[in-house]
Amino acid sequence: MSTHSRRDFLAQSGLYAGGAALGTLLPGLGLQSAMASEIVDPLAPKQPHFTPKVKSVIWLHQNGAPSTIDLYDYKPQLHKLAGQDVPASFLKGIKTSTQGGVGKLWVAPSRTFKQYGESGAYFSNLLPNLAEHADKLAFIKSSVTVGATHDISILKLNTGDLNPGRPSLGAWIVYALGSANPDLPPYVVLYDGNREPSAGSQNWNSGFLPAVYQGVAFRPGNSPILYLDGPAARAAQQQRASLDLLKRLNGFGEARYPSDTELRARVKSYDLADRMQTAAPAAVDLGKETLATKALYGIDDEVSGGYGETLLRARRLVERGVRFVQVVTGDAPSPKGGERLSWDAHDDLEVNHALKARQVDRPIAGLLTDLKARGLLDTTLVVWTSEFSRTSYGQSGNGRDHNPWGYTQWLAGGGVKAGTTYGETDEIGLQTADKDKAVDTYDLTATVLQLLGLDHLKTTFLNNGRSERPTVVYGRVVKEVLDV
Amino acid sequence: MRQAILPIALLAVLAALTLTCASVRSAEAPAELGTDLMQAIDDSNKSLSSNIALKDAKASASDARDINQDFVQVEAFFAARPDAHDAVDLARKTRDLTDLIVRSVGGGNFDAAADSATELSRTCRTCHTFYKKS
Repeated sequence: MSTHSRRDFLAQSGLYAGGAALGTLLPGLGLQSAMASEIVDPLAPKQPHFTPKVKSVIWLHQNGAPSTIDLYDYKPQLHKLAGQDVPASFLKGIKTSTQGGVGKLWVAPSRTFKQYGESGAYFSNLLPNLAEHADKLAFIKSSVTVGATHDISILKLNTGDLNPGRPSLGAWIVYALGSANPDLPPYVVLYDGNREPSAGSQNWNSGFLPAVYQGVAFRPGNSPILYLDGPAARAAQQQRASLDLLKRLNGFGEARYPSDTELRARVKSYDLADRMQTAAPAAVDLGKETLATKALYGIDDEVSGGYGETLLRARRLVERGVRFVQVVTGDAPSPKGGERLSWDAHDDLEVNHALKARQVDRPIAGLLTDLKARGLLDTTLVVWTSEFSRTSYGQSGNGRDHNPWGYTQWLAGGGVKAGTTYGETDEIGLQTADKDKAVDTYDLTATVLQLLGLDHLKTTFLNNGRSERPTVVYGRVVKEVLDV
Repeated sequence: MRQAILPIALLAVLAALTLTCASVRSAEAPAELGTDLMQAIDDSNKSLSSNIALKDAKASASDARDINQDFVQVEAFFAARPDAHDAVDLARKTRDLTDLIVRSVGGGNFDAAADSATELSRTCRTCHTFYKKS
């Protein structure tokens, strides 16, 4: 490692206020300290590196890792070899740690596949509604990651590291582009179900970036942010008068100490909170949506209703200029009662995936239809992703274990080469067939940033003297799925 | 005159021997690729990425040379194994990339250096896919 002089260190640490201020304006230059945010608005819109294809991203994280060989990746050879041991050649280069050992190759008894659209993309019988959008999607069928536990791989998916501490993708985007709507948080996290996603805010934090760039989790329902509602006993007029008084008093302070940037920043945050008190509930209020729209999102179904509401809220947020909406699937109510289910089907995959697919199929299809009808699909990127997927060999007789070696994700929306597929898995859907075409989480990150007009190599931030970027030391834009 | 030349010649021979020994030592196949070596490579690689982004040619070239030297050991380790031709190729590719980085930063082409450094990181991952023990 190279060493630098003390002067270099100070300069690179952004301890020169001028550099820090400039760094805020130009993401490529980076900045270190909170001083910059005191000098200029850290959420002010910033110029991308090149013309963006999209303004917003809806990041659909399928929590628990769905089996993509049960959804999109049709493998006739797997169906043919079902019930047999995995041929040794398919296991070369991977380290399995399946509890109970690697099972025999397995296919769910009810699984069938059909081709859809002009692209002829395969979809299983689990996704009949999404299948109708085949020609809007660009599949990446050579996805890989580091597969450990869910929490660790989810962290890698969102932040690029297996340990907490790095900024999430949404935080990088907001840092680099600023906010497009001063009344709403530019980075919102949505989830359905009755509990916050596992590992919580580690997956939408700002890491070493200033805290202002972290995601804001909206709870399900019409009161999205805790403590945002005014006290019930206080009339709106009283609150207005109180806030106006506070503003006047702060105004005196501002006039007396014009260089007090901390005070200015505080006044700004009060103003934002005030505006958000109105704007945030309105943004997620589905009261004015028609019954037809709600039905489109599957809100009339008890299994898909919660997720449908979440995706309808996601549409309303991108409509209002929110840059990054991170949607995490909540656990669906088990048909047998008791525990609620994520996609994590180590056993009973038939039951699990039938339920989970029903939870997301109509809502995601509805989202794509709705975005298209409103002209928003051209300016929005929809990403269907998961922390990893599931093995083609069985576990527990009727389930599947974790598979980080080869799986499917897809993109839809502006700048995406719709109706295409990049990469493939081997003949049984266990590993990426061509390692040179492997798409790691860093590559997905680089590709998303590219569509937003950001060069992942130039989206940098100086942290403790080191220039950091969203893709750590990796990242390749998957140009093959881009319409360029 | 002769008296003056003799010590210089001896010194030259000694220096040549030292260099040869060092070169042989660095190319000897280590019994294990320890975590210390891999950690050192990881640290140098992160430093390299940062220094390229900061357009620090001197520090970037220094990091690239460090990585190159570390990969002399990696290459020797895998060359001694009969079943690791891919890893030898990947180690050589990495060393080629470090040479490319040194040339790129020397010519002020930091974009090209960043691309090469990213390619180098991918090469590391490709190798780990097959050869990392845990």
